Amino acid sequence: MESNDRPMKKIKKRAAKGPNQRLRQRTAILIILILVFGFGSAIARLSYLTLVQGSSLQESAVDQQLKDTTISAKRGTIYDSKGKVLAESASVWQVAMAPTYLKTDEQRKAVAEGLSKILDLDYDNVYEKTKQNSYYVVVKRKIEADAREKILEFIEEIDKKYGCGSVIQLLDDYKRYYPHDDLASCVLGFTGSDDQGLEGIEYQYDEYLSGTPGRIVTAKNARGTDMPFQYEQNIESEDGNNIYLTIDETIQSICEKYMKQGLIDNGVLNRGVCIAMDVNTGAVLAMVTVDGYNLNDPYTLPKETQKKINSLAKNKQSAAESEELSAMWRNKAITDTYMPGSVFKMCTASMAIEEGVVNDKSTFYCTGSIKVADAAPIHCHDTAGHGSQTFVEAICNSCNPAFIKIGQLVGLNKFCQYYQGFGFADKTGIDLPGEAEDSFWAEGTMNEVDFAVASFGQNFSITPIQMITACSSVANGGYLLKPYVVSKITDADGNVIKNVEKTVKRQVISKQTSDKMNEILAYNTATAGATAGYVAGYKVAGKTGTSEKTGVKPISGFEKDYISSFCGYAPADDPQIAMLVFFDTPSGGSYYGSQVSAPVFINIMTEVLPYLEIKTEYTDSELEYVDVSAGNYVGLSVNDAQSAAQQDGFTVTVKGDGDKVVSQIPPASSKIPNGGNVVLYTDNNSKSETTTVPNLIGYSVSDVNTVASAYGLNASFIGAAGSNVVSASQDIAEGTSVSPGTVITVTFTSSATLND
Amino acid sequence: MAPYKKMMLKADINRIYDDEYYSEQKIKEEKFFIRPSQKRKMRNSKWFSIGMGIDLPFCIIILVLLTIGTIMMFSSSYAFSFYVNGDSYFYLIRQLVFIVFGIVAMIVMSFFNYNKLHRIAPIILGISYLSLIIVLILPGENGVKRWIPLGLFNIQPSEIAKFAIILFFAHWCSKYFDKMQFARNSVLPGVIVFGTTAFLLYEEPHYSGIVILAILTVLMLYLGGMKEKYIIIGAVIVIAVVGVLAVTGGLSYAMSRMDGWGQSLEYTTEEMWQTTWQTRNSLYAIGSGGLWGLGLGQSRQKYLYLPEPQNDFIFAIVVEELGLIGAIMILLIFALLVWRGITLSLRAKDRFGKLLGIGLTSQIGIQVVLNILVITDWLPNTGISLPFFSYGGSSLIMLLAQMGIVLAISRTANIERQ
Repeated sequence: MESNDRPMKKIKKRAAKGPNQRLRQRTAILIILILVFGFGSAIARLSYLTLVQGSSLQESAVDQQLKDTTISAKRGTIYDSKGKVLAESASVWQVAMAPTYLKTDEQRKAVAEGLSKILDLDYDNVYEKTKQNSYYVVVKRKIEADAREKILEFIEEIDKKYGCGSVIQLLDDYKRYYPHDDLASCVLGFTGSDDQGLEGIEYQYDEYLSGTPGRIVTAKNARGTDMPFQYEQNIESEDGNNIYLTIDETIQSICEKYMKQGLIDNGVLNRGVCIAMDVNTGAVLAMVTVDGYNLNDPYTLPKETQKKINSLAKNKQSAAESEELSAMWRNKAITDTYMPGSVFKMCTASMAIEEGVVNDKSTFYCTGSIKVADAAPIHCHDTAGHGSQTFVEAICNSCNPAFIKIGQLVGLNKFCQYYQGFGFADKTGIDLPGEAEDSFWAEGTMNEVDFAVASFGQNFSITPIQMITACSSVANGGYLLKPYVVSKITDADGNVIKNVEKTVKRQVISKQTSDKMNEILAYNTATAGATAGYVAGYKVAGKTGTSEKTGVKPISGFEKDYISSFCGYAPADDPQIAMLVFFDTPSGGSYYGSQVSAPVFINIMTEVLPYLEIKTEYTDSELEYVDVSAGNYVGLSVNDAQSAAQQDGFTVTVKGDGDKVVSQIPPASSKIPNGGNVVLYTDNNSKSETTTVPNLIGYSVSDVNTVASAYGLNASFIGAAGSNVVSASQDIAEGTSVSPGTVITVTFTSSATLND
Repeated sequence: MAPYKKMMLKADINRIYDDEYYSEQKIKEEKFFIRPSQKRKMRNSKWFSIGMGIDLPFCIIILVLLTIGTIMMFSSSYAFSFYVNGDSYFYLIRQLVFIVFGIVAMIVMSFFNYNKLHRIAPIILGISYLSLIIVLILPGENGVKRWIPLGLFNIQPSEIAKFAIILFFAHWCSKYFDKMQFARNSVLPGVIVFGTTAFLLYEEPHYSGIVILAILTVLMLYLGGMKEKYIIIGAVIVIAVVGVLAVTGGLSYAMSRMDGWGQSLEYTTEEMWQTTWQTRNSLYAIGSGGLWGLGLGQSRQKYLYLPEPQNDFIFAIVVEELGLIGAIMILLIFALLVWRGITLSLRAKDRFGKLLGIGLTSQIGIQVVLNILVITDWLPNTGISLPFFSYGGSSLIMLLAQMGIVLAISRTANIERQ
């Protein structure tokens, strides 16, 4: 029964759910699916986007609809202490393109051809850019006014021809110019493509120099043209501030001139540094790292370096190049450390005087070496020994064993205290980027031998700026100053924003000690002549230094690599300017500070001291050889000229048959020695007469004078002090043909033992 | 013995039900648009018929949507049109011409005796195939072959295919309504007709067309009486096939459009930023609209930020200008259209009319939902237009003609009578 009933029930059920019934049911499901789920999810999604995410989406939309046009701010100018421009920004332009407006290939080709020709770019490269579907493609940055004119003409031309002039846009931009190319390159630094400071002052003072870019905010469509609804807001750009340096362009140029010469003369392999400082304020008057680089082209390496890189494997080239570039940009004066060597003895001596452990009567005996603790004997540079010597003589002899004893008299703890006192343990805080720290023994780790070697400046490293700062404190009455290179910052209208005054950190030694040191160091230079920095007419105090480079493989050809330095100041009785000259790894004839760095120091000081209007005080023997300026005799009659020249103290030679002087040698206002030869020409024919330069090396001062006048030439002397000096070099080589009366500069060195 | 008997019984009962149902369809005379004198001719084989009058609410909803759609099409397109064609009215004028043609087509179709379509359904399916083949022979543009250019406007064969599939299955399901539970009468024709059409669309390629066709095929067969289990089996197969295609790389075009689906607001690469440009700007537009919108004509995203704002992404501009409130109102009108269209079709006098009416109306609802999910980044950017709103000649004329057919169906079904 049951089995019969069930199929019947099923049939009835099915019958109740006929095709129409089923269609209705399924249609109901369909309506639910479409209207409830479909439309429901659509409305839910729209609600979420408009109500929940609405504000953030709207913000993004507004961001793209409002086009920001940046108005570049003009970067501030960098001046030297006398107001000469060292770095400035000039208007240039950026060429940009909206290639999406280009409709045909013909237009693209025409635009690419025109632009590549005017801007000196690769045609294929520009053509590729014209194919981009973009509204802003940079074609070339920083074009000059003449290129801009051509671009403007070209825009007009293609606008006439194809009506697509709006494709090319010229945007305002600025370019940094450095009028002196490589002058003070490592101090000034340079800027990147976005006008941001990358090195030196440009980096350190970027915040002040860069200014605030302005903006024009307008509502734009996706092609960057104006939209019908109005919105525009202008924010003016604010030009950068101007910076005045303590660096004097004249002093800097003088230093660079002689440093470059010194670099060549001594075959220096690892650059040279020269820092000139105002001893009373800590203002840096010149800071030279040679060789520097051209600030207008900072990414070009010297040809030889580039050649070396090109010879490397391809995959190593770019790494080598960036390494060489950063080495070239390095400001060696503050970022590299070196062992100060004998120059440091001025500090050790100061400590000893300040502590009262030495006096004029103290004597020190040098046998050529000294034994400290159980270590091997430490040798003096004069292995024969200096014998018995007073404190002052020990300094003049630069005797190492004597200074070990002086150090021992001061004591290790006091020595370390003074080391910190002179500022070697801290960064000087100079306002330049990348200052390095010293490397000295950690507290308590310095043993007797370390101390002995340290007392004459070996086995610890300091930066050149620390040395010159300490030297200034020795000179200025004991005040340790904070060195600085920026003296003043003004806004674009000239209002002073920041004025830098001198900062005294502390007094390290007393005025009496300082005076005593000035006296001793002046005596040192006066007795040793050019080898110790003697400058005729000035009292110069100074100390040479030759330090061994430890821990490096020698490359100079000498047994070891050396750093040759000279640190001094003038005038000794009222110090104004201190200067440190040092050359890293000379490979020429000598590596002694007295022979490599001292002559450069003298040359620089000889020009800088008169520039600073420091009064000369000649001794009687000096007066004999004092240089006098030649007057202008051209245009005068022969007789008048002759008597005028004689009145000025010159020996006169007249050449030619004319009645009037047409030219003279040496020219007006050039320096010649008192009683030197002046040749006056009365016609042009006789000017072709020449004389051959004789050998002037190896003579005494008077002998040089005699030989020079015998040839009708003038000799100007450098370092000619004392009786024991010998001429060491002449600036015009023997055998050169020159006009009679030409001035030859002769440099003298001491014939005594070289004291380091 | 037993199954056969069961089937016979069921078929008989169905017939009885149908007859009963028809007998209830007495036409009342007091209704507007109704011409009683013509009622007898209704089931006759005349090509055109005045019939009992069209469903006025449905007709009004269509005209309302068409009006709002045209206004919004103009609002969203005039800036783009100005920049691209140099004439702000370019799209408006053409769209108005298409509307005139479309309304004429709608009116003509509303008088058409749709029962004629019953017989010619296979022929129309044939025409659909023919047009799909022709478009593949033509050169196409950028490697995509979707349009047959006809001078004044282009024909999109996939639009014809959609109609042909709805029509064919309405025809098939009403003809074999008593055998639809068998796979050979439901699944088999579905696979063959959809499979061949989908293959031709795949060659174009036009993946979004395939998706809509798949939904329509399943929908029609489902309404026609196909067993649910086949839908589930079919879904599994589709997923498997798509998986295979994805592995073999045949989906490259669709995949490239799917790239960045759901991540248009995050910047990953420059290329991706470009790929998702349209979707991102669509979201910006929708977000900018907020609750109340920026006001009619006040869209900013239409100023070249949103590419081709008159086409698939028109509703993003609608939301930007009219806000969420405006969008919901428009969606409600669409919902009303779907509701009215389906309910009136259910009251058609025969199975073929019911299936055809429901199919054509559902198609609009499905397209609206898919379109909104695309512009809101819930579905990949595949190119599904919004009925009555998006610019386009052949699709608009086809759409209005199909609405004409639904109106013709409404002549046989006086909804008010129920």
